Amino acid sequence: MLLSRPNILRSLGRTVAPCRSLHNTAWLWCFRSAVSLDKIYPESDLDLTKPQQIPKTKGHNFSGYVPMDKVQVTYSRSSGPGGQNVNKINTKVDLRFHLASAEWLSPELKEKLATKHKTSITSDGFLVIRSDKTRSQQLNLAEAMDKLRHLIYTAAFVPPPPAVEDIERARRRHEAATRERLRQKKLRSVTKQGRRAPELS
Amino acid sequence: MASQGTEKALALLRRLPRVSLGNLKPNPGAVKSARRGRGIYGGKTHGAGSKGSGQRQNFMRLGFETGNTPFYLRFPYQNYYKGHHMRLSYAPLCMGKLQRMIDTSRLRTDVPVDITQLSATQLFSINPMEKMGGIMLKDEGIDHFQATLNLEVQWATEAVIASVERNGGTITVAYYDPISLQAALNPMAFFKRGVAIPRRMLPPQNLIDYYSDPKNRGYLADPTEVARERFVLAQKYGYELPDIRSSPNQEMLLERKDPRQIFYGLQPGWVVNLEDKVILKPTDPELLEHYAS
Repeated sequence: MLLSRPNILRSLGRTVAPCRSLHNTAWLWCFRSAVSLDKIYPESDLDLTKPQQIPKTKGHNFSGYVPMDKVQVTYSRSSGPGGQNVNKINTKVDLRFHLASAEWLSPELKEKLATKHKTSITSDGFLVIRSDKTRSQQLNLAEAMDKLRHLIYTAAFVPPPPAVEDIERARRRHEAATRERLRQKKLRSVTKQGRRAPELS
Repeated sequence: MASQGTEKALALLRRLPRVSLGNLKPNPGAVKSARRGRGIYGGKTHGAGSKGSGQRQNFMRLGFETGNTPFYLRFPYQNYYKGHHMRLSYAPLCMGKLQRMIDTSRLRTDVPVDITQLSATQLFSINPMEKMGGIMLKDEGIDHFQATLNLEVQWATEAVIASVERNGGTITVAYYDPISLQAALNPMAFFKRGVAIPRRMLPPQNLIDYYSDPKNRGYLADPTEVARERFVLAQKYGYELPDIRSSPNQEMLLERKDPRQIFYGLQPGWVVNLEDKVILKPTDPELLEHYAS
């Protein structure tokens, strides 16, 4: 994407050349050494503002992406000791969203969350997460986000079906246990019969 | 015409056989014999000197101080200090203080804020000769930080990076070797010396990984990967990443130095003349090649 301007290049000398700066709106005449970023990463477009593709959530596979505009965050004062700081600064974070109407979660995930984490859901249907772990609002918000992701991942987790060998092993052990139990029962029965008075026929 | 001595030496070289181990001998007196002195001139003290432990063949070991704890045993070995002579330290700057500096107009936000701008506030004492690498940002007071800046420091933690980026700014960590750092801390004093601006050296082995990592916003990292890490960090800390492209300060926020540059707008090799207010640039192709390497 490098434009060539040969007449300007010739007049200014070798080291000053149009460079791919980190933004594409204007060409900056800047210094480029042998270790400039475009020489270290020749295939990259060196764009710091490159818009990222948002990963999609399908079925039980939660992508990890939580749209912050669809989630309500409120701040309040934390509890516990801390003097003037804890009395005045809003460090507690309350993160909530309406579960049923969340389009960024798949229906399967919503169902699983509703059943597994129903203690975190209010009567109005809002999934609520609170955090006042640290003294900083930003770090508490990070902790709340982490908790939310953990909730979703644990709800989405489907344990793998047991392997054929494990099922077989479990069946054999169960049968062996049954056999042993019946053997012990028979032994006990014989002992008890021996204590009875003999039948006089 | 070469001198007489040189001519004689060359003549010798021409007629004598090739120098080999077989025809070399040390100068007289260069090698002392290890034998004990015997006979008239090696007699009397026989090479042992007079009196003392030397003559009485009772040599004290190196470092022995006739009984008291010697210097080399006085100080215990502490693993804490292992490699301390190679480790850099940084002047701490917490985000609350940075916000206060901006609020009291001690620091400008309309230009990229690098070590030169921060040192101009005269609130830090950084001595590169005492193995100080520059300034590090600490996450004390990140909740109070509200400014939009293009920051360049020498060390920053993840929470600090998040607090800068959530306010629409950019942050880079960059390495300055001691000579470049000395120049950057006080540019006027450096220009008064009248020497050419040096090239900034690349980080040493123990730091190159840190400065090449997009997670740390290293100045040697790929900006495309840094863009991805910005997105990931915004998701981790729970904020919407502001769009720099639609910001009015876009150009200022994306201004970056070349890894070999110390000052914005000035190249290595240039000499800044403050008296006549001119910049002298080298024209020799060898010099140009050296300063651009």
